[in-house]
Amino acid sequence: MTAIEFRDVSLSFGRREIFRHATLNLRGGRVIGVVGANGAGKSTLLKLAGKIIAPDAGTVALPEGLTIGAVTPEMKLYGALTGAENLAFFARLRGKVLSPEKIFELGRRVGLEAQAFDVLAENFSTGMRQRLKFAVLLAVDADIWLLDEPTANLDDDGREKFFTEIRDAAPDKIILLATNDATEVGICDEVIRLPL
Amino acid sequence: MKSFVCRCEQVVAIVRKDFVVSLRRRAALAAMMMFALTATAALSLSTSGVVEPKILSALLWVIIFFAAGAGVAGTFDDEAQAGTLPTLKLYADAQAVLFGKMIHVLASLISLTVFIVPTFLILFDADVADGLLMVATLLLGLIGLSAAGTLTAALTTSAVAKGGLFPILLFPVTLPIFLPAISLTEAALTGAAFDGGSLVMMMMFDAMLVTAASILYDYL
Repeated sequence: MTAIEFRDVSLSFGRREIFRHATLNLRGGRVIGVVGANGAGKSTLLKLAGKIIAPDAGTVALPEGLTIGAVTPEMKLYGALTGAENLAFFARLRGKVLSPEKIFELGRRVGLEAQAFDVLAENFSTGMRQRLKFAVLLAVDADIWLLDEPTANLDDDGREKFFTEIRDAAPDKIILLATNDATEVGICDEVIRLPL
Repeated sequence: MKSFVCRCEQVVAIVRKDFVVSLRRRAALAAMMMFALTATAALSLSTSGVVEPKILSALLWVIIFFAAGAGVAGTFDDEAQAGTLPTLKLYADAQAVLFGKMIHVLASLISLTVFIVPTFLILFDADVADGLLMVATLLLGLIGLSAAGTLTAALTTSAVAKGGLFPILLFPVTLPIFLPAISLTEAALTGAAFDGGSLVMMMMFDAMLVTAASILYDYL
């Protein structure tokens, strides 16, 4: 299975050093948890892995041609689009056309009712938005999943649906899960503790 | 080839999404239209509608420039404020984002021009002697303004004083478009002979701006 390789990676924000000559091999086919205190660099590690930010020194090597998807607090969906329009838009960006049946199926998998897809996303509750973000991730069928506290704001049903999907998808994906939640850590096959 | 087709599909998706969002939000388009209408009405009333064709041409482009600034400046910033820009950048190719935004800006400016040019001509009691030249000049000017405006909007997204910075950065970049555009607009209004070289110069500068925007956007 493919892997994301951190080779001698260093990164600082101002005087705050997050990584210093870090070398990591994040293998696919399993759920990799990233845990650590606030400010330890969990979200930063995910951004580096997704090439959303670049390190000050060293390299992050991603397998050629793999696509990235994310559920993170700072990544928002379009409030002026309905749930279905958001799904269709992001799927289209990855060359996928979603039928109404597929949208309904995605909704079922993340626990969004069919009528929610006709409502503007700005009228969604926080938990519904989180479910919609996850539905987008499933719709685009990304190879690398970057999950930053993905079940925050979710009820028990939402959390269970998340965990089921993550476990089912794990064999074919590279999944990084930044969290401090004991239940989320519980579904991980491997845990990286920060600081390294 | 497949990559190019994918990018084109992404561009189309982004343009469509921006149209839906702008129709539902209307703020940027309304800001452009209101600025253009207010400026045109104020200038027409203060000059009693009697202005030399040269000045009239310059006034038209000044109105288009500042009206565009009112709407185009938020092209990327609105997404950054809403938190959707990181999501868009993650799922779409950077060039597709740039060209999707650029085409949407161009379409918005064409809508603005279709609205403001007839209003301008009526309020200043002016006629167009050469309609084809007028349309060609406006289109070439708007293409350049869209390319430069989109890149400038991307550049100023993270700036603190983006409102003031946007026209300051945009003006020198678009000046080589405006100077021939003003001359050609004057010729279109009066029916006088025009310099074909000015049209070629506008085309070349448009191509330069689009290419430069494409190259520079990858570094933002």
